[in-house]
Amino acid sequence: MAIIQIRGLRKSYRVYQKQEGLLASFRGLFHREYREVEAVRGIDLDVEQGEFVAFLGPNGAGKTTTLKLLSGVISPTAGEATVMGFTPWQRANEYRRRFALVMGQKNQLWWDLPAAESFRLHQQIYRLPPDEYDRTTAELTDLLSVGKLLNQPVRELSLGERMKMELIAALLHRPEVLFLDEPTIGLDVVAQHKIQQFLKHYQETRGTTVLLTSHYMKDIAALCRRVVIIANGRLMYDGSLAGIVDRFSGHKVLTLQFADDAMPTDLARFGEPLDVQPPKARIKVERERIADVLSSVLSGYQVADVSVEDPPLEEVIAEMFATAEDVSDSQELAAVST
Amino acid sequence: MKDSVWLYPKLLWTFARNSLIRDMTFRSNFLIEAFSSLVWMVMNLGFYLLVFLKIEESQAAGATADIAGWEKPEFLVFIATTMIVNSVMQAFFMPNAQELSELVRTGGLDFALLKPIDTQFLVSLRKSSWSSLSNFFVALLLIAYAVPHLPAPPSLASWLLYPLYLLCGVLIMYSIMISLAATSIWLGRNQTLYDFWFYITNFSRYPMEIYQGNVLGDGLRLGFTYVLPILVVINVPARVLAKPFTPEYAGLAIFALVATALALVGSRWVFQKALASYRSASS
Repeated sequence: MAIIQIRGLRKSYRVYQKQEGLLASFRGLFHREYREVEAVRGIDLDVEQGEFVAFLGPNGAGKTTTLKLLSGVISPTAGEATVMGFTPWQRANEYRRRFALVMGQKNQLWWDLPAAESFRLHQQIYRLPPDEYDRTTAELTDLLSVGKLLNQPVRELSLGERMKMELIAALLHRPEVLFLDEPTIGLDVVAQHKIQQFLKHYQETRGTTVLLTSHYMKDIAALCRRVVIIANGRLMYDGSLAGIVDRFSGHKVLTLQFADDAMPTDLARFGEPLDVQPPKARIKVERERIADVLSSVLSGYQVADVSVEDPPLEEVIAEMFATAEDVSDSQELAAVST
Repeated sequence: MKDSVWLYPKLLWTFARNSLIRDMTFRSNFLIEAFSSLVWMVMNLGFYLLVFLKIEESQAAGATADIAGWEKPEFLVFIATTMIVNSVMQAFFMPNAQELSELVRTGGLDFALLKPIDTQFLVSLRKSSWSSLSNFFVALLLIAYAVPHLPAPPSLASWLLYPLYLLCGVLIMYSIMISLAATSIWLGRNQTLYDFWFYITNFSRYPMEIYQGNVLGDGLRLGFTYVLPILVVINVPARVLAKPFTPEYAGLAIFALVATALALVGSRWVFQKALASYRSASS
């Protein structure tokens, strides 16, 4: 049985539509307009033990909401989910002892106290035996090289250092399932890399099941073999990172270098010219036409160099998100009610 | 599990310890807080002493002054009881209740919900403000001074019941406070907590005999005894210590126990209901 099972999961919020201006605010005291916002619109997903899965999607797509549902922080409007056999929003202590949620935008450590004090509190809350706690703390602080900072008040740490401490706090009880919500947000490249390395090592050695959301393609490429794309509250893709391009991009990019003055003037008949700097040209060509276009170019003109590439992953994803947002806009307009 | 019996007391100790460490870090703030709440209490005490002076002036010489049947040493016990309950509330529950609204608004409550311990316990007792306890010790001194002057010295039973009813008073106040604070989970924001608290304690810190003898008084007394039992909070323990036990108050004393149990159960219900509809803030 899959360690995480999600069936038809939905979450919608009723949001007060605040009008601009004083008069409208006053009117709002008596009569309010609400809008139903569907953050998650029916997600089905299975995750096996030991998988490292990335949630990818634009802001407001429902990634964080899904993680919060799986952590039991909020309850769904409809649908079911089990994690290690538990229904998260029943908030059973046995469940809460076995998973962790890390949020890059929020911190849980005591701001005015050294991280070590917060860790000790976690030791008590999770009832960790002293020797096991000491071993885990030593191992984690060593891996993240923050041993010297343990006794410094958290408010005096840098963002990167604080994030490392947050990670340690979340991993002290050796969770079997780990939810990471943008753990590298706002960090510089070095700190990002360090945290990626740590997560990769940790997950590989311990076989923890991890769900990660991130906006950084690098995080995802470095860590996850499986990518789940959520846009507009729905699951749009579930597979490998490379598979995204095959599935969502209907074209390839053809780069041609012509010999001397051999470049034709009517490039548009092959496809959509992206960048033309004679004797070099980049053309976007529909995938099914690529063979025909190539053979006619090669037979008709003198070509010095040629390459056929997939469009960059970021571009494909951005394009996909843009389409998803258009759909969502028109749906939300229809959902406005009083 | 064997160690689970000790889990909550141990956690309580760690919460208190961490708060003390934090309070001590900001030393001046700690001292100013302790000093200002002390001054506020001394001013209050002075005010009542003045009232007693006025009453004595207006009476025939030799007559014993009283406020609604409470003679001066008895009234001092009453004031001390108020100080004890309020200082405990402000030291242990007020900082947490106030923070709950903030946790809801910022989404910080997420973390409390992840912990494998009772959420109400965690949210209610996480932080304490030790400086507010200064009044507690002043109140003990006040009791030490007032008790020898009481018309009837307290019995052993009175001394035993006094802490019990102090605890009841604190628990009733806590129940009201956490219920009010929990509404911020529904409302998204509720910063009127401190105002509410002020209104409520304002009513509770007078002898209930004041609300008596006419329709308005009786209405207030019955309402604040049996509907929202805030008059019980100070009156029952103060009476137990300061006045001889009479059968007519046995009923009230038993009711105080029932009210405490009902308040705790009720506030737990409100808190759970509120948590179930927690929405969490953005990301």
